[in-house]
Amino acid sequence: MKKTSPITIIIYIFLVFMAVLYLAPLFWVFNVSFKTNAEIFTAPFALPKAPTIDNFTFAWTAGKLGIATLNSFLVCVITLILSMVIGSMAAFGIARLRWKLAKLSLTYFLLGMMIPVHCVLIPLFTRFAKVSLTNSLVGLVLPYLTFALPITIFIMVGFFESMPNELIESACIDGATIYQIFFKVCLPLGKTGLFVTGLMTFIANWNELLLAMVFISDDLKKTLPVSLSKFVGPYNTNYSQMFAAIIIAIIPTIIVYCAFSNQIVDGLTAGAVKG
Amino acid sequence: MDKLLRNKKAIFVFMAPAFILFTFILFIPICQSVYYSFCDYNALTPAKFIGLENYKTLLSDKVLIIALKNSIFFLIFSCVTQLIMGLFLAALLTNIDKGRNLFKNIIYLPCVLSSAALGLLWMFIFSPKLGINQLLIKFGIEGPLWLMDTSGYIILPMWVIAFVALWQYVGQSMMLYMAQISGISKSLYEASYIDGCNKAKSFRYITLPLIRPMVATAMSLNAIGSLKFFDLIFNMTEGGPNHKTEVLATHLYQQGFKYFKYGYASAIGVLLLILCLLVTAFINKVIKTEQYEM
Amino acid sequence: MKKKILATLLSTIMAASLFVGCGSSSSSSDSASADGVEEITWMFWDDLNATEDLISLGYKDVIDRFNADYEGQYHVNVVTTNLEEYYAKLNALVAAGETPDVFIVSPGPNLTDYVEPGVAAPLDDYLGQDGWKDTFTSDAVFTQQTYDGKIYAVPLNTAAACCFYNTEMFEKAGVDIPTNYDDFIKACDKLQSAGYTPITISAGTAWCLSMVAGYLCDCEGVDLPALADGSASWEDGKLESAATKLVELSKYFQPTAAGDTNDVATANFYNEEAAILIQGSWAIAQINGNNPDFESKCGVFQFPGEDKIIAKSDSLAMSSSTKHPEACVALMKYFTDDTAQKYTAEVGGKIPVTKVEYDASKAPAQLAYVMDVFGNAKGTFGFYNESMPTTETGSHFDDTMVAVFLGDMTPADAAKDMEEYYAANCR
Repeated sequence: MKKTSPITIIIYIFLVFMAVLYLAPLFWVFNVSFKTNAEIFTAPFALPKAPTIDNFTFAWTAGKLGIATLNSFLVCVITLILSMVIGSMAAFGIARLRWKLAKLSLTYFLLGMMIPVHCVLIPLFTRFAKVSLTNSLVGLVLPYLTFALPITIFIMVGFFESMPNELIESACIDGATIYQIFFKVCLPLGKTGLFVTGLMTFIANWNELLLAMVFISDDLKKTLPVSLSKFVGPYNTNYSQMFAAIIIAIIPTIIVYCAFSNQIVDGLTAGAVKG
Repeated sequence: MDKLLRNKKAIFVFMAPAFILFTFILFIPICQSVYYSFCDYNALTPAKFIGLENYKTLLSDKVLIIALKNSIFFLIFSCVTQLIMGLFLAALLTNIDKGRNLFKNIIYLPCVLSSAALGLLWMFIFSPKLGINQLLIKFGIEGPLWLMDTSGYIILPMWVIAFVALWQYVGQSMMLYMAQISGISKSLYEASYIDGCNKAKSFRYITLPLIRPMVATAMSLNAIGSLKFFDLIFNMTEGGPNHKTEVLATHLYQQGFKYFKYGYASAIGVLLLILCLLVTAFINKVIKTEQYEM
Repeated sequence: MKKKILATLLSTIMAASLFVGCGSSSSSSDSASADGVEEITWMFWDDLNATEDLISLGYKDVIDRFNADYEGQYHVNVVTTNLEEYYAKLNALVAAGETPDVFIVSPGPNLTDYVEPGVAAPLDDYLGQDGWKDTFTSDAVFTQQTYDGKIYAVPLNTAAACCFYNTEMFEKAGVDIPTNYDDFIKACDKLQSAGYTPITISAGTAWCLSMVAGYLCDCEGVDLPALADGSASWEDGKLESAATKLVELSKYFQPTAAGDTNDVATANFYNEEAAILIQGSWAIAQINGNNPDFESKCGVFQFPGEDKIIAKSDSLAMSSSTKHPEACVALMKYFTDDTAQKYTAEVGGKIPVTKVEYDASKAPAQLAYVMDVFGNAKGTFGFYNESMPTTETGSHFDDTMVAVFLGDMTPADAAKDMEEYYAANCR
């Protein structure tokens, strides 16, 4: 065991400082969410005198955050599954199938990464309004899915390209169809990549605000990020419940993150370093 | 096998869903958006072609100038600070043994949280009556009006928002750099230590050149991310006071969905798109790499 | 065979998801369901379940009562957003051809936005039936809702912007109620030297500051209609002197005024950290709700130097494309019936619009004072930001006033800026 150098100690002090900087705001909101409105105004930093979970129950039921959570979950899971299937299919088509326009179509998809969603907001909105896709969760899934595709395709192309040719050859000799090769051989091997892109898609869509805010007005179809602002009334704001709502909105991602943080990191690394 | 991989129908089946989605949800709307930008189009009336009128308005729109300035400030700030802080944190973390994962995970955490929620959270932390200023007063310091001070060329609220954005997203850059650094062979460093390099020198002469491709990647990500930036500002200041913290995305939202000037908002959208394409092209030109990532 | 199944399956994923979309959304636009219940929608700018606003809670009661009483005949569905996004959402629905049957709207340019393209229906015929119109206090309550001689919206209540004050602080500082601007300044001076923060206000919520600016402008004789048609100029010195007074008054604001939101500013008042709150009478419910003990200490006076009063009413408009006008009218009548109007006064603390008899002892003490002020006023005018040609102009006025307060603009610059803005966008 080598002895700890002073530099290492400084590094640790700095890192602890950073950790406090990162966690303190989250603790603050956690603390505040157990207070009453009056207490927030008089003693914002003190620990709650009489901690109450009323804020949470109220936000969950009356604020309809329960429904919003369900909506967010539905939209995210459907988008997740579809983006994995459609994205990896396209990635396979680009990486493995032999056709002239493969490279060009990759560029086409990658351009999508550079396009901010704001640029398509108005045409999408007017078009969706005409076919009654606004105010429907499907209307959210479609653009979420589309915006998730570039990254999925990109990472999966990397995975499929790195697979040894022999794999496909031997499957071919065994008489497998191209679909069997994709679903039974290549897709299982690209699991890691799928997992990462899936998580990233899930997190991005879970947090998406702009599209959801523009497209959805029906209370029963709102997603979580949009629901946060409903505690802001015309003449007064329901602070304590809004803080509770913030906690409700971020807890699921924190749980997903804690559970999978190493995979997220590894996957990010794997996907990114390959490029 | 070749026949199998050249099967036209298979190619169609594999590519069609993604292609259709992309074309209908992204490509056609962009073309439409460009067309709308040449129209007088208000939500309640149909689009009417007016040529370059919207673009002329862009030039004389004072708020747009502020928004553009803020967006560019944001772009530069986040590219520079994320590069420095990201690399710095990555270098620190790769040099410690205990708790590396813990610190890494803590710093990356806000990246996965909702910016809408974090924006509301920070708004309260910076509100004069409830937030950090009350804490500062206990130490006898009178805190500034974090989100309302409007003096200076780049006003205080923009700095505050920029630092919150740095706080939230630096984990991503850090992660990318760490990934790249951990990919560098240990033997390179060992060789350099034998040659008499210290850690700082080996960082300068081995790490930096080898992570160059990742710098381009991370920077393009930051650049586009900062141009698209919306959630945090929308929930922290909504562009106020007096539009001083407006960026292109919030201005577009306001013009398009508060005042319903679809045509004009589309013109702002086109401007944003052009900026995104230009900046990505620029970064990849300057920091040459074979291929960039994400 | 397997291939074919797979191919069909994959290529229909998209189509399937599209169908689901159409299926689910068509059910919501179907207004008459199979059992003959006429379904209408009502759109409002506060979440009825998450709110703490007493007026909003009163509306929730109205909706519940209506749905219970008309069960099997009419049913109203509620669409809510928060205020910031309200008009955006409403316009989106209008553009999509799904205008809510009944929607809340601020009188003034907001209402004009819906009257001009024919989105809002004229209501005179319905008001004339069954003596509905006679239940209102006077025809004057419809002034702001009338456009080209026709009434396009039904007011639900009236709120007046007044100065609320802490009687205890006034007494201790030896201050009388000011009646003109100079006295107002003197009173603030006295309060300040007695160690109190004279005025609490929010510039973080722009319209709060703009409301005071509106009073100051009106005192100076700013003539909005003349400005809109170009027969007067913003640079005639009136706005400049109003803005100068605003800057002068701002010396007496709480130090955090620039960043405080509406709620925080009001909380400063009921937590007895400041002597005067200039706010609409909707604040009464908030004040008494958060600090019930304060009710007895809270007085009300009219904005000094002004003989008119800023009034605002929540109003309901009906979609001209509604398929169920009877249901809509029935709903609107529920909002102006005695139960609802009694609630408005006794619980909500706003001024009722009908001749309803309410129990003054149940109503908050401040309501009586507001009614006094209201009764003594020579007339009413709307919020400045809601009396300008477009909503964007109104926001621009709010922003300009905040800029003046923050010292970003001189009063002269503000006048010049408003004039330029009007020249470019309004005339």
